[in-house]
Amino acid sequence: MEQRTIAEIGVCSLIIIFCAVILWQAAKLPPGSFEPLGSAPVPQATAGIVICCCLIVIVRAIVQIRRQPPLAHHVRDELTGRSPRNALVMFGGTLAYVGLLQLGMLSFGVLTFAFLLLLIMTLNRFSKSSLLPATITAALFGFGIEFLFTRVFVVDLPV
Amino acid sequence: MDLNALFVAIQQILSTHALLMLLLGTGLGIVVGAIPGLTGAMLIALTLPLTFYMTPFNAVVLLVSMYVGAISGGLITATLMRMPGTPAAVMTTFDGYPMARSGRPGRALGLGITASFVGGLIAWVVLLTITQPLSILATRFGPFEYFSLIMMAMVLIASVSEGSLVKGLISGLLGMLISMPGVDPASGMPRLTFDWYVLNGGLQLLPVLIGTFAVSQIIADALDIGKVSQNSKVDSRGVLMSLADLRRHALNMIRSSFIGTWIGILPGIGASIGSVVAYTAAKNMSKTPEEFGKGSEEGIIASEAANNATVGGALIPLIAMGIPGSVIDAILIGALTIHSIQPGPTLFLTNADIVWGIIATCLLANIVMWLMMTSSVRYIAKLIYLPRSYVLPVVIVFCVVGSYALNNTLFDIWVMLGFGVIGFLLERAKIPLGPFVIGFVLAPLGEEKLRSGLMMTAGDITPMFTRPFSLAFTLAAVVLLVWPLYNDWRRRRATA
Repeated sequence: MEQRTIAEIGVCSLIIIFCAVILWQAAKLPPGSFEPLGSAPVPQATAGIVICCCLIVIVRAIVQIRRQPPLAHHVRDELTGRSPRNALVMFGGTLAYVGLLQLGMLSFGVLTFAFLLLLIMTLNRFSKSSLLPATITAALFGFGIEFLFTRVFVVDLPV
Repeated sequence: MDLNALFVAIQQILSTHALLMLLLGTGLGIVVGAIPGLTGAMLIALTLPLTFYMTPFNAVVLLVSMYVGAISGGLITATLMRMPGTPAAVMTTFDGYPMARSGRPGRALGLGITASFVGGLIAWVVLLTITQPLSILATRFGPFEYFSLIMMAMVLIASVSEGSLVKGLISGLLGMLISMPGVDPASGMPRLTFDWYVLNGGLQLLPVLIGTFAVSQIIADALDIGKVSQNSKVDSRGVLMSLADLRRHALNMIRSSFIGTWIGILPGIGASIGSVVAYTAAKNMSKTPEEFGKGSEEGIIASEAANNATVGGALIPLIAMGIPGSVIDAILIGALTIHSIQPGPTLFLTNADIVWGIIATCLLANIVMWLMMTSSVRYIAKLIYLPRSYVLPVVIVFCVVGSYALNNTLFDIWVMLGFGVIGFLLERAKIPLGPFVIGFVLAPLGEEKLRSGLMMTAGDITPMFTRPFSLAFTLAAVVLLVWPLYNDWRRRRATA
C-alpha cells in the first residue's frame, strides 16, 4: 500500500495535540462521588492510547523517510499531482454559503440557487456551454429542495 | 422463528406506502451505488433526516432497501469503468472490467447481478434463522459481557481495516473520544465541553456521519473532477444467467455467500473484506486460477455473492446485540435511536414489528434489486457518466440540509464541515474511516456498560475475567490485538 509519510506525521501530530487538550480538560473533572470510576478515566485512557498509537505511526514514518531520503522527494510525492483548485473552490464556496445562511440575509431557495449556479460554473471554468444546464440544475435543486422540505416533508430549513 | 410475524411484515411492506419506500430505496441505492464517489453510507446518512416524519417501519424499509441497492449498484461502475462504485465492489473490477472490455459487458453484469441476488438470499436465510436465538443468548449478557464484546469488536475492526492495526486503532479510539464531550451519562454533569454550552448535548451522530463520509468524499472527488471516463455501451445480451450457468457456478456462489455472511456477522467488518476473502477462496479452489484478474466468471461471482451476503450477515449483530456489523449498520443504529428505538437483544420483545420489517425488507429488496438491475441495467449504466461538477454541488446542498434538519441548528452544519475536513485528512494519512464511525457509535454504550458494571461490583473488575462470555471476548480481543503484531514482528525478523 502506498505510504504517505508526510501526511501521517502531520495528521498524527494534530491528533496528539487534540488528545493532549482532552487529557488537560479531563484532568479538571472531579472524581466520581457515587460510582467508582468517575467521568475522567475513560477519556484519559482513550486519549493516552491514541497518543501512543500516533507516536508509533510518527516514528515509523520518520524511519521510512530516513531510509529513503531526501525529504524533498517525499514532500514532492505527496503534495504535488492533482490540482487542489476544485477542492478549495468546493469547500471554500460551501463555507461562504453556510456563512451567508447563518447571516440570514437571503431565503434558502435564492441563496442555494446562487450558490449552485456559481459553484457549477466555477467548476466548469465558466464555459458558455455549461451556463444553461447549470442554471437549470441550480433552479431545480435550489427551489426544488426548498419546496420539497418545507411543503412535502415539513422539515425546517435554515433561513 | 416466527414465520407468521415474517409474513405479516411482508404483507405490511406490500401495502402502498411501504412498497413505495422499498422501490424508491432500492432504486436510489442502485443508482447512488453506481455513481462513482457517491456511496451507500452517504445516501443513507443524507436520507436519515427525511425519515423523521415517517413511521419507524417505513423508515427502516427505506434505509435497509437503500443498503441492499447500494451494495449491488457498485458492480456497474466496477465492471464498466474499472472504478468500484462502492468500496465493496473493488474485487469485481479485477474480472468485471476485463470481461466488459473483451466485448461482453452484459455477461459480466449479468453474472454479478445474479451472484448478488443469490448472495443476498443465502445471507437472508441465515439472518432469519440465527438472529432470534442469538438475541435470546445476548439477553443473558451483563454489563461486563457487553463491554468486553464492544472492546473485541473495536479491536477486530482495527485489525482488519484497511492499513495497519495501529491506524485502525487510532481511528476507532479517536471516534470514541469524539463521542465523549457532553453530559456525562453517570453523573449528569457536563464533560469535556470547554465551557461551551452548545457542546452540552454532545456532538450529534448525523452531522458527524455526513461530514466524515459525505463531505470528505466530496472534497476528495473534487480533486478528480475533470477526470473523463471512457464510455462503454451496454446491451441486454447475457444479462440473464441460464440454468446451466447457475448449475456450473452453484458451488462457488454458495461458498462465497456463506463466507460473505460470516464476515458480515463479525462486528465492524464490511463488505470489502468479505469480497476479498471470497475472491481469494474462489481463486485457490478454482481449476483455472490463471484466469483470475483477466475476466474470470468465477471471480465476478465470488466477489459479488460475498459483498451482497455481508448485508444480511451484518444485520445479525445489529438486531441481536445492537452492535453494528458495518459502517452502514452504525448509521442504521443511529436511525433507530432517532426513532426512539433502542437496538439490542430486547428489540425482538420491544419492537418485533421493526425487526421483522428489517428481515422482510432484506428479502424483498434483494428481489426488487434483481428485477430492477436485470431489466434496466443498460439505462442505469448511463447515469454513471453524469458530470461530477454538477453532481457534487447538489450533494453538498443535501449535506447542509441533512445536518440542519436533525436539531434545526446551524451549529450542526459547522460540525459537519469540520468533520468533512477531519475525514479528508484521515484519509490522506491512510487512516481508515470505518473504525472512526463505529467507535463513535459504540463508545457511549461501552462506557455506560463498564461504569454500570463497576457500580454493581463496587469497583471490582475481576468479573470481566471470571464470567465465561466476558472472558472469551476479552481473550479474543487480546489475540486479535497481539496476532497481527506478532506476524509483523516475525515478517520483519525474516526480512532482516
